[in-house]
Amino acid sequence: MTPPEQPKSSDGRRGFIVKTIALICGGFSLLIPAAIGVVAFLNPLRQKSTGGDFIKLASLEVLPEDGTPRKFPVVADRTDAWNRFPDEPIGAVFLRRTAENKVEALQVVCPHAGCSVVYEASAGEKTGKFFCPCHAASFGLGGERLDKTSPSPRDMDSLDVEVRNNTEVWVKFQNFQSGAAKKIVQT
Amino acid sequence: MKTLLNWLDQRTGLVTVAQTCLNRPVPGGASWFKVWPCTIAFTFCVQAITGFFLWMYYSPGAQTAWESVYFLQHEVIGGWLLRAVHHYSAQTLLVLIGIYLVQQIIIGAYRAPREFVFWATVLMGLVTFALLLTGDLLAWDQNSYACTQVRTKFLTLLPMVGGEFYKLAIGGPAFGHLTLTRFVALHIGLFGGGFLLLLVLHHVAVYRADTAKSKSAEKSTPLWPDQIMRNTVARLVVMVVILLLALQHGVSADHAGVALGSPADLDPSNYYAAARPEWAFLGLYEFSHLFPGELAILPIFCIPGLLVCVALAMPLLGRCRAGHYFNVAFTVVILVGITVLSFRSVAKDRADADHQIAIADEIAQADRVRQLARSPEGIPATGALTLLRNDPLTQGPKLFKQHCAICHDHLDAQQKGIKAEESSAPNLFGFADRKWIAGLLDPKQINGPGYFGNTAFKGGDMAEFIEEMLADLDEDEQKDIEKLVMALSAEAHLRSQRELDAKHAEARQGRQLLLDDYGCTDCHKFHDKGKLGHGTDLTGYGSRQWLVGIIANPAHKRFYGKENDRMPAYAKDILSDRDIALLVDWLRGQWYVEGLGIGD
Repeated sequence: MTPPEQPKSSDGRRGFIVKTIALICGGFSLLIPAAIGVVAFLNPLRQKSTGGDFIKLASLEVLPEDGTPRKFPVVADRTDAWNRFPDEPIGAVFLRRTAENKVEALQVVCPHAGCSVVYEASAGEKTGKFFCPCHAASFGLGGERLDKTSPSPRDMDSLDVEVRNNTEVWVKFQNFQSGAAKKIVQT
Repeated sequence: MKTLLNWLDQRTGLVTVAQTCLNRPVPGGASWFKVWPCTIAFTFCVQAITGFFLWMYYSPGAQTAWESVYFLQHEVIGGWLLRAVHHYSAQTLLVLIGIYLVQQIIIGAYRAPREFVFWATVLMGLVTFALLLTGDLLAWDQNSYACTQVRTKFLTLLPMVGGEFYKLAIGGPAFGHLTLTRFVALHIGLFGGGFLLLLVLHHVAVYRADTAKSKSAEKSTPLWPDQIMRNTVARLVVMVVILLLALQHGVSADHAGVALGSPADLDPSNYYAAARPEWAFLGLYEFSHLFPGELAILPIFCIPGLLVCVALAMPLLGRCRAGHYFNVAFTVVILVGITVLSFRSVAKDRADADHQIAIADEIAQADRVRQLARSPEGIPATGALTLLRNDPLTQGPKLFKQHCAICHDHLDAQQKGIKAEESSAPNLFGFADRKWIAGLLDPKQINGPGYFGNTAFKGGDMAEFIEEMLADLDEDEQKDIEKLVMALSAEAHLRSQRELDAKHAEARQGRQLLLDDYGCTDCHKFHDKGKLGHGTDLTGYGSRQWLVGIIANPAHKRFYGKENDRMPAYAKDILSDRDIALLVDWLRGQWYVEGLGIGD
């Protein structure tokens, strides 16, 4: 018995056209929904991180004159996708008086891996220091690295400070990328 | 390249599988009538892809579901298109499965050896219904909530287990967080996953049936490239249709894509009156109306269940010729029936004025909540519904209708607005604005129905004073009255008159006229002059504080005292302070307006 006659599938020039149409249509049809999804997926890149404005943190008189640092929360309106939260803590800053009318501000976030640095008061030594509990980095009161080989790639991040009306301490609050040797503002 | 493919095939066998699939025989050769399975698989792919990205934005929870969809729809670039493509591809999927099923029935393709192809298709159709029903609720707007509320309540019709099924479906005795978490899991996990399984089962059944057939005498060609070309062209056409549906309302406005209604309100007194199921369920909806309430289990469960049983039995019935004719006739009758019932339902709703009003109200509310969500305060953590509950423009008319419109009208010059059940007290539209006060001081209007006409004050001291003293005024006197109106109306501090009130000179003259020439303070108190006890206090007349006071207790000596007509003291167990404030803010036009803020 001979095998049943098969209708010929397209080959040659016609076959090429058919194959091209198949590939183009097949590709486009799937590309459309995928592209729409990817555009929505990439939306977070448009979102900017908060910060960059001067915020009133404290009054000058609450800062000890001996230069002991104090930690202050940064309170601002926070937007979380569709929700808006008025007056929420969005970060914290160490403030330290360096002269009668001069204040220095340091981010509490460790430049190494983003943990929160704590202040350790002097224990028999002359002054206290900053210490990061995650990877044991130590920083001086000015934020400079104290260890010979510090886990932190850079000194603590200082922030711009303005003393307004001789009493109000305003800080330009920003977050910085961790792990880099240079201070890079997070956008 | 070839070496790489060989290596891959040797390790995994994937290349061989792909070649087998591409070269599998198509009995009878390539045809445009054979594209349906591929378009169904493709449309499901669109569902899966867009669903995956929707999932990244969705937050199931009674205070976050609508809000996250709002965020996607209005804040995420292309988010509305993503939603719309997902929505319309679901509808398209149902249509494609319907076409495929009908084609199988008509040409008798459900017969051996293709029974499983047919059964898998029927089950895919059912799972698509389940996908539509569960997906519908996730937007958590008024319509989807109201529809799902009714649907899940149907579960209680089931004997013995009804109550338990209901609780299991919605995650407790009432709708809330757990309803949404459940519906997400059912939608994606059970029904999405289930559809995929059925799709695979279907394609395996097709492969086996076609392979068996091609060994018999029939002619056949390989799938690649002729049939695949037809399939992919059909896929692209389906995708274009979905896109056109998604783009039918434009690309930029708030209503682009699939409209998102106002957030689901679980308060039964705010139940959405115009809730209707999606088109695919309209026939069943109308069908259920043919039965009396106590027999509701028949149209909801028994008869649709029976239909599914008949559909599943078709491949067996179709073995004989008569059975096949029955199947075809049955299908035609059902399709015609569904179509007729669906159109009847639509026609009924079109002719129903109340239904159309309810829809218009809901659209207005959805617009309003969008405006409020975009206000500087944004959506609070308690959800977008809080915005509506604290909005005078939304709550004011409801409160007025319920508590004030027994006696008071609130009708503008075109007689549009809220009509009282029995107009027997002043029309409060534009209360205390210049036009309203000018009308009050008009001898022709004071005893008319818009002011004291139907009250105890008709022909009273005030009306008498106006009729005697303010009739037949000369031009100068008329100017005086205009100034007096300005002065009194300025007491209300209405936002609508802020710019007018800022012109002080004339109002100052009017104030003097009010205090001296016209002797208002003989009966009324006005700031430092006059005494309380006879007429109402004109100090801050129509201001927020004044209105809150009179609604709270009109019989207070600051207002009508003992002469109070019929108005109850609303602060006593009728309205909360919050409700009174909302009502007052609405009467005074003090609500959030884009660009203007709340005012004051």
